[in-house]
Amino acid sequence: MREIGFSTGAIALDDFEQALRQLAVHTTDAIELSALRLKELRPLISALPSLNLTRYSYISIHVPSSFSATEEVELIGLLSEVPESWALIVHPDSIHNYELWRPLASRVALENMDRRKRGGRTAKELTACFDMLPEAKFCFDIGHARQFDPSMAEAYMILTAFSDRLVQVHVSEVDAQSRHAVMTYAAELAFREVAHLIPDSIPLILESRVTTGEIERELFKVADIFAHHSSEATRC
Amino acid sequence: MSAISELELRLGADWRNLHQASSKAEDTLQNFTDAVKDLTTSDASIVVFGSLARFELTPSSDIDWTLLLDGPSDPQHLHVSREIANKVKNLVIKDVGPEGTFGSLVSSHDLVNYIGGEGDTNSNTTRRNLLLLESRCIGNDEAYDRVKKNLLKRYLSEDSGLWRREVTNKLPHFLLNDIARYWRTMTVDYAYKERTRGGAGIPLRNIKLGLSRKLIFVAGLLACYTCHLDFEDDLARERFYSQQNTAGLVAKLHETLKASPLELVASVLGKYIEHDTATKKLFDTYDKFLGMLLNEGVRNHLEKLHSDNCYSDALFQEAKKLKWNFQDALSSIFLEKTSLLGEFTIRYGVF
Repeated sequence: MREIGFSTGAIALDDFEQALRQLAVHTTDAIELSALRLKELRPLISALPSLNLTRYSYISIHVPSSFSATEEVELIGLLSEVPESWALIVHPDSIHNYELWRPLASRVALENMDRRKRGGRTAKELTACFDMLPEAKFCFDIGHARQFDPSMAEAYMILTAFSDRLVQVHVSEVDAQSRHAVMTYAAELAFREVAHLIPDSIPLILESRVTTGEIERELFKVADIFAHHSSEATRC
Repeated sequence: MSAISELELRLGADWRNLHQASSKAEDTLQNFTDAVKDLTTSDASIVVFGSLARFELTPSSDIDWTLLLDGPSDPQHLHVSREIANKVKNLVIKDVGPEGTFGSLVSSHDLVNYIGGEGDTNSNTTRRNLLLLESRCIGNDEAYDRVKKNLLKRYLSEDSGLWRREVTNKLPHFLLNDIARYWRTMTVDYAYKERTRGGAGIPLRNIKLGLSRKLIFVAGLLACYTCHLDFEDDLARERFYSQQNTAGLVAKLHETLKASPLELVASVLGKYIEHDTATKKLFDTYDKFLGMLLNEGVRNHLEKLHSDNCYSDALFQEAKKLKWNFQDALSSIFLEKTSLLGEFTIRYGVF
């Protein structure tokens, strides 16, 4: 069975404890602890010893997506306190000095970006990022890839180029304003087109901004998309 | 090294006119880019067509362009397109054609959604096919790439036979048929233009139809054939097509179609040494054709020539011979059933 779960940010923004409580009643075995702003990271790391995460076989941390060059040193210091088996999800455009990230490189998973960003959106742009951090892993955000190219051709290019680095997939609708939202039917159809390129061993982390009542339905929908159905044409 | 240069070297040919026209196109593209790049955004790309996009620019070439929109409506787009028109006027003497196909705003919606049916006007068919086969983007290329990929997705995802396991020849019939239809549209429009514009300039148009217009069709056919040919072996092809891998095929074909028509033809034909003699004839002929267009005196003469008296004109006869040579080379490569390209063309490109 593929591991599946939510990002705490999608459930309760910076309130990871609230998100964990809400998710406790659902059968998820993967979790991404989200600290999208630098000020959210220290409280999260301080709270780690007290969080009950035993039910989760896959855990990752979403690193803040914006910080200054001077804050970068402090941030990397904080991240070194995170358990070594957890992936650190990093936006490549947030990095100021790749050299500083080298000690953590094997745990860093660079994520492909949405179309607002100036880099990290395509296989070609990501190659330049991985050249700076060759040991880094990859977090594929399928919503970002679709927002950049609805044909999913770029998603195909990214997945085939970085399949050996892939450790996690972010799943959600990403709207025109680059907001993560509940999956639409159009997104569902698009995601199915490249689902066969994502092995069962890769955990899915949902970033859909759902209400409590929508969690189970969203989990079911995403699990179904990435279950490996045959997609051979059946029309005449 | 470009596929054309590689082929030229291997065949011991001299295609200096191709290089001269290509170099002129590169210079003009750079000047155009410098002039208009700030007018493009991630939702609005400037797209050029014609000889500039084919990298076959000659002194009297015009610049056919559109502002391709793929995003929220913005009333300012009209002002942007006027500004582009002003910049273009400073770069070339000739204006865009009178049909209104170029030199204006084009929304991606009709291009992507109206393939066939009542909404697919002549202009829409032209823009769509040229976008795929003969276009180049200036400045921000996000909208341009997105629209091209979405167009390819329409053709490839809705191709009923392509993804069926029992169909072993993997050719995108929907796309191929539209490209063939566009080629025939160009030939019919040639007759329309002859009737509506009178006989002046028609002889040169006739030569272009048999060479540069036909070249687009050839490039389109070959691009379709690469969907079957561009695999290491049968197993690799089988694996690729084992499920509906539209995104993968869109990515492959999009890469293939980034090349100019001549470059695409050179890259495919260069792999078939059994066609070397005909391929050399094809490119030698095209080089001579561009040589004529690069010579301002010859081009001016052909441009002013009237269809009533062209058959007694020595230069027109010379150009006409090039057209026939080009056709002979094509027939040798594409209409001999002993070769794979011939087999495909006879089976899928004609009937």
